[in-house]
This record gives sequence, structure tokens and C-alpha cells, in this order.
Amino acid sequence: MIDPRGTRRRLALTVVMVFAILAVFAVRLVDIQVVRAGELAAGAAEHRTRDVVVYGTRGSIVDHDGVVLADSVQRFDITASPVNVPFGATTDMRRDGEWVQVPTSDAIAAIAALTGQDPAALTAVLTDALAEDPEANFAYLVRKVTLDVFEQVRALGIPWVYSELHPARSYPSGAVAGNLVGFLGTDEPLTGVELYMDECLAATNGRTVYEAGADGVALPGTAIAETEASDGGTVRLTIRSDLQWYVQQLLGQEGGRLGADWATAFVVRVADGHVMAAADWPSVDPNDFLAVPGDDRGARSFVSPYEPGSIMKPFTFASLVDAGEVDYGEQLRVPSEYTEGLPPGYRITDAWIHGEMRWTAAGVLAESSNIGTSMLSTRLSAAERRDYLTAFGFDQPTAVGFLGEDPGQLRELDELDPVTNVTQQFGQGMTATSAQIASAYQALGNHGVHVPLTLVEGCELPDGTVVAPEPSEGTRVVSQRAADETVRVMEQVVSRGALSSLVDFPGYRVAAKTGTAEVAENGQYGSQRIISVAGLVPADDPEYVVVVTIAKPDSMRVSAAVAPAFEAIVEQVIKTFRIEPSAQNSPKVPLTW
Amino acid sequence: MTAAAATARPARPAAPARHLEIAPSRAQRRARPRLAVALGTMTGIVVILLAQLGLSIAVADGAYRISSLQLQERDLGRQGEALAEQLESLQSPQFLARSAEALGMVASGSLPYIDLATGEITGKSTRSGGSILGRDGGLVANITIEGVQTVQPQAAQDAQAAEQQQEEAAAEGSRLAPGLHVVGDPGAPQSEGAGSDVSSGPGTLASPVTR
Repeated sequence: MIDPRGTRRRLALTVVMVFAILAVFAVRLVDIQVVRAGELAAGAAEHRTRDVVVYGTRGSIVDHDGVVLADSVQRFDITASPVNVPFGATTDMRRDGEWVQVPTSDAIAAIAALTGQDPAALTAVLTDALAEDPEANFAYLVRKVTLDVFEQVRALGIPWVYSELHPARSYPSGAVAGNLVGFLGTDEPLTGVELYMDECLAATNGRTVYEAGADGVALPGTAIAETEASDGGTVRLTIRSDLQWYVQQLLGQEGGRLGADWATAFVVRVADGHVMAAADWPSVDPNDFLAVPGDDRGARSFVSPYEPGSIMKPFTFASLVDAGEVDYGEQLRVPSEYTEGLPPGYRITDAWIHGEMRWTAAGVLAESSNIGTSMLSTRLSAAERRDYLTAFGFDQPTAVGFLGEDPGQLRELDELDPVTNVTQQFGQGMTATSAQIASAYQALGNHGVHVPLTLVEGCELPDGTVVAPEPSEGTRVVSQRAADETVRVMEQVVSRGALSSLVDFPGYRVAAKTGTAEVAENGQYGSQRIISVAGLVPADDPEYVVVVTIAKPDSMRVSAAVAPAFEAIVEQVIKTFRIEPSAQNSPKVPLTW
Repeated sequence: MTAAAATARPARPAAPARHLEIAPSRAQRRARPRLAVALGTMTGIVVILLAQLGLSIAVADGAYRISSLQLQERDLGRQGEALAEQLESLQSPQFLARSAEALGMVASGSLPYIDLATGEITGKSTRSGGSILGRDGGLVANITIEGVQTVQPQAAQDAQAAEQQQEEAAAEGSRLAPGLHVVGDPGAPQSEGAGSDVSSGPGTLASPVTR
């Protein structure tokens, strides 16, 4: 028989136990859902949430025609989790499309073979990381490999190998305009256009936050917070990369032939002051800037001033003619030395010894007489001469505003000693950069109107808008007559003067002026020279300025040594820009009487 | 209770224990759930649930598709960029000069010009400029093209041959020899070149084909 009391007791016990268990569940429920709810939810969200950096692309630097000089590229860092590397055991790896188990050392060797490293060095990376921290979960195996290498490593499928995107910079044209373009350090721009146009080029990274499942796929319907990355703009230079290459190649040949320290060359369009080529030698390949000494990494053409010498004379003469103080036909008796107003013991001579010469003013310029130039230049006051030179762009950085650009130097009037007062009119005792010289010749070629030098054509933003500098009207420095007559006299240097036997431009009229400047070292002029030729082509209506400067040559220390480089560049300019041949021959200007 | 509902059934004399039941009113009958409605509702719920399941499967599937397409897009984008990078290096003046030199090309001399209006020739042609690189070789560094093979003469010839074949195929329709031909010359086939797009006036030269 069933004992009804026993049944009731068992029933009661069961009910009590059920309620007890329910109570435990309830407590646990409240604990999870209420007490620790926030903490747990946050933990879960963190586990699900992926926060990914979206890289903005730094803008590229292109030449006038769109040839890429600097571009952003994707590189990959290959990383590993050292703590998970099964040393002395086997690793799963894919070989020829099939999964195989290989000794871990073989897996490391497979990576090393792809990345071109030494397997021992790779192993060392892993063991060193473990020596430092036995739980090390991260080490770089190799940084900045190309997509090709990265994909091959990824295809190995080794479980303890990971990767990271590493946005990098590439300079596909190498050293072409490398000194102008500059380069980036680890992340920051260090020099050149990269640095001074950084505002246009720089990109902003964005980020995407989303919730993902265990396999990394975004959960549908989860909130996605996105901060968009913004790409940088494209900087377009006025440079023509083919011409730039030609000029750099030529400077390399000529600089090497003459045993020079450095050389620069400019090609500037007369009409608007746009720089077609601005070359430095030695040049730097921004991909590999550590390969050249620090001094050669920048743009000497903009940042290194020097005493330019006689190529300054045309500015002195144009000023004098503009002021009405000199007429090129004026007949002068030029003595064998100049001492007027100089302290005792000082005298100014010409490059060669001569007795009294009967030159016209044009003859003084064409023959590059220091004595004659000194005699004539003092007809203007020091202040007036300084104003003219400043108007030509000396004693101030060019409008390019290249970072670290040097303003050159003209002495202040109150610091001007009697010797410098005269010598700076033929380019000694004052300094200028190659860029300033090129810019000043632009004014002579442009019939006396100086237009600011331009290197950057504009910044094209990703949305297509172009931010370009306002084209400048230019400022008149000297009258058209003064500029044109000066160019006419410079033509005599090529047609029958110092350069006539050295250069030949069949069918074209070219104006040029040579310079052989003494270089001051430790406060004294020594035997070193900076030699240069500056010219305009075609001389009948100048379209391009060409300036070539070669510093401290060993073998030939006269400006004639620059003639081959000048000739080659002018010929290349004629071919590149299809300059029309001149209709007439150079007119003769009387140089003697 | 309405009057109709309260109407008693006619009594039966021989029934000792009669079971009495209140007949449901019409409203009550109507209010009673009908099987069809129940079935319909249940089916509806099941259909909705199935649809929802189907939709979430589709959405989840979409998420995987999006993810895989995004990966594909990223990989293709990377490949595109890597190829563009290579192309940019191959377009560099250094590579062009090196390839031209390897193909035996020389720099041109200066060119004479013909004034088409007067027929006057200005300027003088000079001898060729000789080697492009000179005896020192390329002096403008570019490590991005280091070890990249220059354009090979055979490859250049093949490309030229392929181009010529294409051109010949195109010229067959026009029955005109490719290259320079005079339009308006009585001896030449007149306006038979239906395929030719040269629209020069009589006596003028058609644009020459240059390579």
C-alpha cells in the first residue's frame, strides 16, 4: 500500500528542491542580467568589435605632363607570433597547393627564400623576441615587402605568420628631379616638395568600427561607425621630366669629366617664369637617399648661394642703360687696371692682362671687362644699383619659396666697403643661388619684366578642384630697350666672342654670358672657381633661359669648360620645345672703336 | 439570455434522468474559434517565421558575399596599384633611355622646318646626336628599375609586326595602301577609300602614318 504521508513528504521535498534550484537560477540571472550586465556586455562587444584603420592615400607628385615623380604604394610588414612557433616540431604549410607538415625550420627557410633573408637571421628574430619576453606574441619578420612577396608568403598559409599593411612612398622616376621632390622619413616628409607642399599632399586616415563574427565577417545589421579617410591632393610641378633627365644626365657627364664638386642647371620659360628643368648634380634617388651624403640630398640650385661672378654683368649694364647713364655705343678707353676709390693696394683687373683698350660699352660687356664694368657702374649711386639688383630678385628668396631656400646676399649700404661696392656689380662680394640667376635672366629675356619663378603648377584635390597660384603680371625692372639691347650685346658673346668657337647653333640665334667666379674660402679668394654660362634662346625673341653652373672643377677652371654643357642643353631645349629657327643672323653690335 | 435561447425543448414522457444542456446562443456559436481560422493563423505564423529565417539566411549570406567581394576588391585594387607602380617605373626617362640605347637608337640632331605656306625651309638639320647615354652610361639613378630587363629588339619587332598586321587587316577594306597617299591625284583611285577617314582637300597630303 502506498503511504499517503510518505507521498506528501516526497512531494513537498521535490517542490522545495525545485524552488531551491529555481532560486539559484534567479540569483544567477539577476547577477548576470542586472549586476554584471554592463561589464559583460562591454566585454562581449569588445570581443566582437573590430576597429580597423582605413588609410588615406598621400597624394602624388607629378611633372607637367603627369609623369609620376612620387607616388604612394602599398607595402606589407610580415609579422609572426614567436610564442606560437613550434620550435623543434612541425608546422602546417602549403607547398605546391597541398597542405604538408614540415619541420618548423623548413617553414622558416621557405619564408626566408621568398623575402630574400638569411634563415638564421629570421630564426634569430623569433628567438630574440622570446628571450626578451617568453610570451612574446609579436615580431617583425620583414618590413615593407612588395605585394608579390607578400602574396607568396601568405600562400604558404603558415599559422603563426601574420601581416600588416604598410603604406609607403615610391619614386618611380628615381633621381629625376629627386633633389626637388625630396623624400619621406619613416612617416614624415623630410625635405623638398614633399615637405613644403605637405599641406596639399597629406592624407588623413579614417577608421571603421563594426561587429564581426569569429571568422571576421561583419554581422549584418550591426552598427558601423565610419570615419572616412581623405586622400591627399596631387602636386603638379612645372618640370618636364624628360628634359630634366637629359639635363641631369648631362651634368653628371660634364661634372664627372671636369672633376667638379657640384653642378646645377636651370631651364626657365621666359613668358611666365615656369621652371622647365632644375637639375642638381650629384643627384639623389629619393628611393635610396641614404646612398648619398647629406649635402647632396637637397636642392643646391635653391639653397646653396655662391658668388656668381661675371654672369651678373648683364644686370649691371641693363640697369645703367635703363637709368640713361650708359649707351651701348659709348666709346670708352679702358685702362689696364682700376683703382679709383679703392683703398691703397687694391686694384681691379681683367681676366687677362691688356693695355688700354678702345671698347664701346657693348664691348666692355661682351668682353667681360671688370675694369670697364667698374668704371661705368659707379655712375649710379650704391643705393640705386642695390635697388636695381633687388628688383631683379637678388637678396631675397625666389617666389618658389622652396623650403630652406637661401635669399643670397647683397651687402647693406652701410656695410658696403669701397671694394665690394664695385665688385658686386660683377658678381663678387655678393652671393646668389642658381635659381635667383635663372629668375633674373628671365626678366632680361622678357623685355625687362620680371615674373616670379614658379615650380609648382598647382595642387589638384581629390574632388577635382585645382588650387593654383595666381599668375602674376610681373613687375618691370628695366625698360624694354635696356633689356633687349643687353640681350643683343650678349648675342655677340656667342656669335663672335668668347663662346663663338666653342658652341654652334645652326639656324638659331642664342645670347649668352659666361662667368668665372673666384671662390672665397676662409676669407680669401683661392684657386677654386665656379664657372657658369647663362643664356637665352632664341635671342631674337627669348623663349627660354638656360643657366649652367659648375662648381670647383679640377681640370679646367675657365667658363669655356661649361660651353659643351650649355650647348647641349640649348640644343635639347630647341628640340624639346620645337623652337622656330631664327629668320636672320645675329646683328653685329660694334664692340671696339 | 434571449427569449429564443430560453425556449425549452418539448418534454418526453419516458425519460427518467434527462440530461439538460444549455444550447449555445448564436453569438456564442459565432464566438467559438473556428478551426479554419486557427489553422490559417498557425500557418501564417509558420510562414512568417520561415520567411524571417529565410531573410536572415539571405542577409547573413549577403554579409559573407559582401565580405568576400570586399576582399576581392581589395586584392584587385592592390594588384592594380602594384601594376601601376611597375608601369610608372617603366615610363621613367631612365628606363626609356636605357631601352632606346639597347635597341640601338640614337638621339636626333636638330630639325629643319618647312613653312607650308611658302615652301621655305628654315633651320638646318645636323648630324645625329649620337649615343643617348654617352660613354658613361646612365648617370641618373633609379633603383626601381634596377635589374629590370630593357625592351628587347625581338619583342620590339614582334610588336611592330603585330601592329602592321592589324593595319593591313584594316587597310584591306579601304583598298588603299597604308601610309602616305595623295588625295586628288587623277591617277590615284578616287574616293574608293571608303574606309579611309582622311578628309583632306584636293592636292593636300593625307596625314602620314608615323610610328
